[in-house]
Amino acid sequence: MLNDILTAIQAVATIQNLLIMAAGIWGGVIVGAIPGMTGTMAVTLALPFTFYMDPVPSILLLVALYKGSTYGGSVSAILIKTPGTASAACTALDGYPLARQGKAGKALNMALYSSVIGDFISNLSLIFFAAPLAMLALKIGPPEFFMLMLFALTTVAGVSGNSLLLGLVSAALGLLLATVGEDMYGSFRFAFTPDMQAGLAIAPVLIGLFALPELIKLIVLRADNREEAAALGAQHVTRAEFMGSLRSILKGSAIGSVLGAIPGIGPSAAAFFSYGEAQRSSRNGANFGKGELEGIAASESANNGACGATMIPLLALGVPGDVITGVMLGAFMIQGLTPGPMLFQTNLHEIYMLLIGMLVSSVLLFFAGKATMRMFSHVSHIPQTLLTPLVLLLCIFGIYSISSSMFDVAVLLVMGIVGFGMFLLNIPTAPFLIAFILGPTLEENMRRAIAISRGDPMVLISTPITWGFAALIVFVIAVTIRREIRKNNDRKALAS
Amino acid sequence: MTKPVLRGLVITAFFAVVAALLIPVFVPRPAFIPGFAPPPDMWPRTVAIAGTALGVLALIAARLRPEPPEPVEHDGSSPTRMTLRFAGVVAAFAAFLALVPVLGFLVAGMALTAVMVLMTGERDRRFWIVALSIGGPVLLLVFFHSALGTQFPRGIFKPFGF
Repeated sequence: MLNDILTAIQAVATIQNLLIMAAGIWGGVIVGAIPGMTGTMAVTLALPFTFYMDPVPSILLLVALYKGSTYGGSVSAILIKTPGTASAACTALDGYPLARQGKAGKALNMALYSSVIGDFISNLSLIFFAAPLAMLALKIGPPEFFMLMLFALTTVAGVSGNSLLLGLVSAALGLLLATVGEDMYGSFRFAFTPDMQAGLAIAPVLIGLFALPELIKLIVLRADNREEAAALGAQHVTRAEFMGSLRSILKGSAIGSVLGAIPGIGPSAAAFFSYGEAQRSSRNGANFGKGELEGIAASESANNGACGATMIPLLALGVPGDVITGVMLGAFMIQGLTPGPMLFQTNLHEIYMLLIGMLVSSVLLFFAGKATMRMFSHVSHIPQTLLTPLVLLLCIFGIYSISSSMFDVAVLLVMGIVGFGMFLLNIPTAPFLIAFILGPTLEENMRRAIAISRGDPMVLISTPITWGFAALIVFVIAVTIRREIRKNNDRKALAS
Repeated sequence: MTKPVLRGLVITAFFAVVAALLIPVFVPRPAFIPGFAPPPDMWPRTVAIAGTALGVLALIAARLRPEPPEPVEHDGSSPTRMTLRFAGVVAAFAAFLALVPVLGFLVAGMALTAVMVLMTGERDRRFWIVALSIGGPVLLLVFFHSALGTQFPRGIFKPFGF
């Protein structure tokens, strides 16, 4: 084992890999710092480029973009009160008031330190928990996998958007779209044109769904409510300020690691939870929302703390925890690797490389963030009207370069329009994407289970593990409905 | 008609059409299915029926528990104007796909970028509009062609190399 780890360290520590990770971090911070550009967009836009890379560097690039963009979201949250990513929303609550007090540099530094610590702890949780979970997953068969994926889909549907019903509708749409093309026994389904016989490729569907609606929104709605940017001002975080926030940083990192590992929860919920917990337990709780460094520490350590942990269900079970890991699952598949328990047996070297690369990227995040803080603070001023069409251009050229197919470009554009339609109808897109990616595996496991049981569908709930997942699904649905009813009652009370 | 009702109708209609019309025609059952394997239409049919049921539930929820309207943030333009803008986007995308075989990927990409920038309402930064519309596609084409060997479709400007 030690020999394997040393070989993996050697393989990761090449100039090429380090440059790829550094580029990913910088790219992620830039994209994350631009309001309207999300981490999902950064990862999806990079997907076409990974097509031509080796598997591990390509995944490391995407992971670096994910981490960079999660931190980058804090830059615009602090400077212009517009979170670059949803997970930085809590950072804006204290970051912007600090920036108005002339302490933007201090806030950005605290965000960086907290992000790096959260990220590092999260990577350690990935290293310690992914392999045992994968070993456990090896013991389960098609019915259990079917129920596990159904559980993941229900959770994602429950936490995305405001309504479980609409989340499930979105998942159903994704599952249906995933059936297009040839099935496991060679039948063609919904093959309206010869191009559709091979099914819809992952890249144009997910890039179209997540990157293009932003452009269409900008053109159709033209809403821009950015605040005036603050100057960097005071730069350093003192030792006393750091030590005063350390408890919240560690607590936030733990919260991020735990919540990130649960499919569907992700960095945004982790940041909100951690911020609330820090406010409740801090001596400076009353100062939260008015410019409290500890608030930034709690939020940023939790959102970056979720990054590595979201990879636990992806690597160990093949189940993406959120949209970005859904995109990464697509990247693994493009590279011919199938995440899940078997990956730990067939591609152990790649797994070690990936885990070590993730630790290295935490260190790179610190240096990249430190070295370029001042430069990235200007990024949030780039006009959306020029940037968003550039994103379209990147998408079109990138998608064409993957498959040399105008059909895929057409799918990209159509999915952009579908994504905008879903936005208008308040239907969340995350369950759609996860369902589209998981759909073929979900169906395959279901059909295998039924075939093995000689046509009995009850096999899907025939073992204690499947009962466990069924109970979890019922629990998630019950909790989500209860939350929605509560929210509805609160709204009514507020209105009256 | 309120948005939730419209949403419920759209969802129900979409899944019902898939279940009742598209699956019987476009998901043929093979003559031989090995062992006890479920037929290929089983899964899409299950999903479509579940989707229809969810759509009906959404419709019932919209009727029984009306949600307060969630305003979409915009620049204050009239719905007609915004609909026209959306139609413009769809038309621009369709025109791009139609123009690629005629003008080639590069020129069609330049035209699409210019149209998109102008449609965002940007008029002031003229230098950047031109630079982005011309320079952006050229740089990406050079990058993908030289680094990855992608052969982009060429049109009437083929004698000039693009």
